[in-house]
Amino acid sequence: MSSSHEAAPSPDFLAEEVRRYHHFIVLALWLAVVTGAEIVLIFLPLPVAVVLTILTLMSAGKFFAVILWFMHLIYDKRLLFWCFFAGLALAFATYTALLCLFSADRIDTRWFS
Amino acid sequence: MSHDSHHAPVACKTELAPERSDLGLIRPDRSTGLIDWLTTVDHKKIGILYGAFAMFYFLVGGVEALAIRTQLARPDNDFVTARMYNQLFTMHGTTMIFLGVMPLSAAFFNFLVPLQIGARDVAFPRLNAFSLWTFVFGAFVLNASWFFEFAHLAGWFNSFEWHKALVYTDFAPANGWFSYAPLSGTFGQNGQALRFTGVGTDFWIIGIQVLGIASLAASFNFICTIINMRAKGMTMMRLPVFTWMTLVTAVLIILAFPAITVALIELMFDRAFGANFFNPSSGGQPVLWQHLFWIFGHPEVYILVLPAMGIVSEVLPTFSGKSLFGYPIIVFSGAVIGFLGFAVWSHHMFTTGLGPVPTAAFSLLTMAIAVPTGVKIFNWLGTIWGGRVRFTPPMVLALGFIWMFMCGGFSGVMHSSAPADSQQQDSYFVIAHFHYVLLGGVLLGLMAGLYFWFPKIFGRMPNAPIAYIASGMVILGFNLAFGPMHYLGLAGMPRRTHTYHAGNGWETWNFVATIGAYILGLGVFLAFVNLVWTAFRGKKCSNDPWDGRTLEWSLPSPVPEYNFAQAPIVAARDAYFEDKHGGKRIGTENDGGEAGVHMPSQSWMPLLASAGFLFAGFGMPMMAMGIPHAGWIVISGLGVLFIGIWLWALEGPGGYMLKTPAASGTPAPTETVAH
Amino acid sequence: MSDTAAAHEAPTSTGIDHKKLIMWLFLASDCMFFGTLISTHLLYRKLYPAGFTDAEGHQRFIQNLFNIELTSFSTFILLMSSFLMALAVSAMHKGQIKSFRRNVLGVIFFGLIFLGCQVFEFTHFYHQGLTIQNSVLGSTFYVLTGTHGTHVAIGVLWLILMYFYSFTGKLGGHMGALDVEVAGLYWHFVDIVWIIIFTAVYLVEYLGPNGIWGSGLPAVAK
Ligand code: HEM
Ligand SMILES: [Cu+2]
Repeated sequence: MSSSHEAAPSPDFLAEEVRRYHHFIVLALWLAVVTGAEIVLIFLPLPVAVVLTILTLMSAGKFFAVILWFMHLIYDKRLLFWCFFAGLALAFATYTALLCLFSADRIDTRWFS
Repeated sequence: MSHDSHHAPVACKTELAPERSDLGLIRPDRSTGLIDWLTTVDHKKIGILYGAFAMFYFLVGGVEALAIRTQLARPDNDFVTARMYNQLFTMHGTTMIFLGVMPLSAAFFNFLVPLQIGARDVAFPRLNAFSLWTFVFGAFVLNASWFFEFAHLAGWFNSFEWHKALVYTDFAPANGWFSYAPLSGTFGQNGQALRFTGVGTDFWIIGIQVLGIASLAASFNFICTIINMRAKGMTMMRLPVFTWMTLVTAVLIILAFPAITVALIELMFDRAFGANFFNPSSGGQPVLWQHLFWIFGHPEVYILVLPAMGIVSEVLPTFSGKSLFGYPIIVFSGAVIGFLGFAVWSHHMFTTGLGPVPTAAFSLLTMAIAVPTGVKIFNWLGTIWGGRVRFTPPMVLALGFIWMFMCGGFSGVMHSSAPADSQQQDSYFVIAHFHYVLLGGVLLGLMAGLYFWFPKIFGRMPNAPIAYIASGMVILGFNLAFGPMHYLGLAGMPRRTHTYHAGNGWETWNFVATIGAYILGLGVFLAFVNLVWTAFRGKKCSNDPWDGRTLEWSLPSPVPEYNFAQAPIVAARDAYFEDKHGGKRIGTENDGGEAGVHMPSQSWMPLLASAGFLFAGFGMPMMAMGIPHAGWIVISGLGVLFIGIWLWALEGPGGYMLKTPAASGTPAPTETVAH
Repeated sequence: MSDTAAAHEAPTSTGIDHKKLIMWLFLASDCMFFGTLISTHLLYRKLYPAGFTDAEGHQRFIQNLFNIELTSFSTFILLMSSFLMALAVSAMHKGQIKSFRRNVLGVIFFGLIFLGCQVFEFTHFYHQGLTIQNSVLGSTFYVLTGTHGTHVAIGVLWLILMYFYSFTGKLGGHMGALDVEVAGLYWHFVDIVWIIIFTAVYLVEYLGPNGIWGSGLPAVAK
């Protein structure tokens, strides 16, 4: 069935692929660097709140970088982003709420380590 | 992947030359009869199968309900044992929700969505067949628990070693349709995993898990179909409301079901491997189960009702001779209901002690959700207002829907207030509430849909007098059965108790409720007999007997395999109605009238893959029973699933060309209507 | 899995291929799936910050079990596999099947290393006394990371089958590239879930005296 699509890729398309290739390499390097920074960060004598904020930002950054470039969302139709984002946002909101609904001082934790 | 577009088109698929798939196996394309139904990928046939199974399970759930009502007819009754009573209400609830309402809604999605959007099938026809069979096998596993229960009661298992070793011998689920932990879970420390219940719970866990997979697969497919396969000119704001509600429902399913999937996995780990997710003796929080269940469960109630709302939104305009009042508002409020539905789950848990702030927040959000619901009701009233109303059977049922659903909404708003709910929760008042929305609402809506679209599905018209009698019995019996439960609940009668003593003042209304239940049951049965008879013997009718508004009515009845001989182009909302009574609003694409219509190939693989769930589904509870080697059944089931999917991937989609009667297209409509 | 009615029909209403759309929808749904698992773990960490008690009755803190070098290594491996996957997809778009095979082999290899690390980690933790049965922590930790591992394993299996399928010559053209791209989306998603797990399950345990959950509690030695 695919025979009709077999035509050689156009030069424009190839140039675009080459550009993306460079993006991918740069992104891979950044991912490695950020992960390294995360590991160093947790051992630095900084206030917990500061470290936690930076960690959250870093992993969110990695998360969206992979989605946007490796998963092509930045090149693809906007609709796909919103499809995924709906699930992501809902999961984030629901489970943040759930975490807030539980609190240690409302249960007896003495017996359990 | 081999393709056959070069094959000459045939007029009927039985004329096809035998075609081999990429695997070298002959495709079951030319089959007729049973094999045709087992291997079909036609959304219309799949829809009919969904409908048939759903109606069957409605009757099963109905018999269970009548057994419950018989037990409660008199005080201190012993028609069934307490244990059997628990199993009855558990299986009744589970059956009605997962095997009755959801698949019947799915039947409508399947049959109607491609027709309403002007497509030739769904986006993934084989995946659609997979959803169907997975549902069928999941339902089968769940109900097989009854077989084990009765075999046990009859003493057939007594001589087996594994049976003698069982601590609990309840084989059918008995935890209620939400299977709250810790009852459904375990206690004891360090992986002792002592259970409170027998294997019935395991049947329930695996059954719901499999049914969830079926719903998820179907929903991905339908979202894809609706977004991606609309005919030219069928913009989102021209979609029929039923299709819109299908879309919202499918989105709810894909976002709500994962919560229960994970909760079931966690519960299964507790029971089978001694994990501690909900085990109170090791610090597990049983209330977490409630949260996870209702994070799924509240969206689920909208999954149940939105399709019925969609149906009613099609029936009312048709029989009022007017277009739907406030189409954008109806669509928008449907979406808002879906969205808000995720933010109210804890209103089922007011009495667990959430703390003042969450209680207030969930209370307010629950009240807020009544607003878009009310908006819809006013829009429906606006649709009928000033219309030339024809009281056909579907219309009568749809009007019943509005009225009964509204009553259910009122009691819903009542227990959105947490202090009131702490009196009502776990009483018959809640039973009354959700039966008004589920039975008075959803079931009446679905029955309206059946009476409305049966002429399209089978080309035959149901007998109207019987339909009126049945509808009357359903509405009357329903109010007799469930109206008094409001009173019973407020008078303190608790839910889920197998009997009550005389002298509480509950006798009369319980007796009335039982009589109502029998009238209701007979009414539904009569309606189903009427419908089944129609399918085979009913009087033939025209293609458009109701003066319909949406694209499906433009097709012959029954709808030919290929749906549209030429892909339609639409230029208005309710294009078919406008086309009949106004200017030209439908054209067709001249796309290959001569070459024929491309049809997807039939396949055994979806059936094979889902059969894996049958094995795995039986194997897991059998493992829990301690039956030797049952683990191998589970493993072979997973193997069958894997092989099925693999062969499915390798066989290639195939397809063949079908000749259609009309060969040349009609030009696209020139004037467009602003919508 | 090629299964579209419209495989060679008119383009879709949105111009997005069916398969790509359905995969994104699946991933949206999978967000809720992993959201449930991760939040189960986190909320029990919040309730019981102190860790677990091992078979000898000693109080144990989870960060004393963790091996940050190992986890960092496997995180790095997974990130790089994502990179190779992106290259494999790119190669398919350009019709370079050989390059595709090379990259995909790399992805499979890295995926297997990741799984190996996980097996090692699990056995190590088990010998240290953390079991699925002896504590809530054990249950949530193993089931969360185990489910992620299962996702990785399914991805590896999928890519292996695709690798061999490419030798039949049928994996080509637009549909072939699409099939690879869809598998790639799945793979990347599994990777980003790990990005979250790495931070929320592992790294935060190193903050403060006893991880953020235990901050305020006295530090306990091994
Ligand atoms: C105006 C809209 C609605 C409101 C404000 C509302 C509110 C509530 C509340 C607060 C409860 C919890 C009662 C308790 O357990 O004490 C409840 C239960 C329930 N509702 Fe609704 N509801 C609404 C519509 C619906 C709809 C549309 C359906 C389904 C089609 C539905 C089905 C149910 C079911 C099945 C239960 C019982 C669950 C159980 O405990 O077994 N409700 N409703
Ligand atoms: Cu609710």
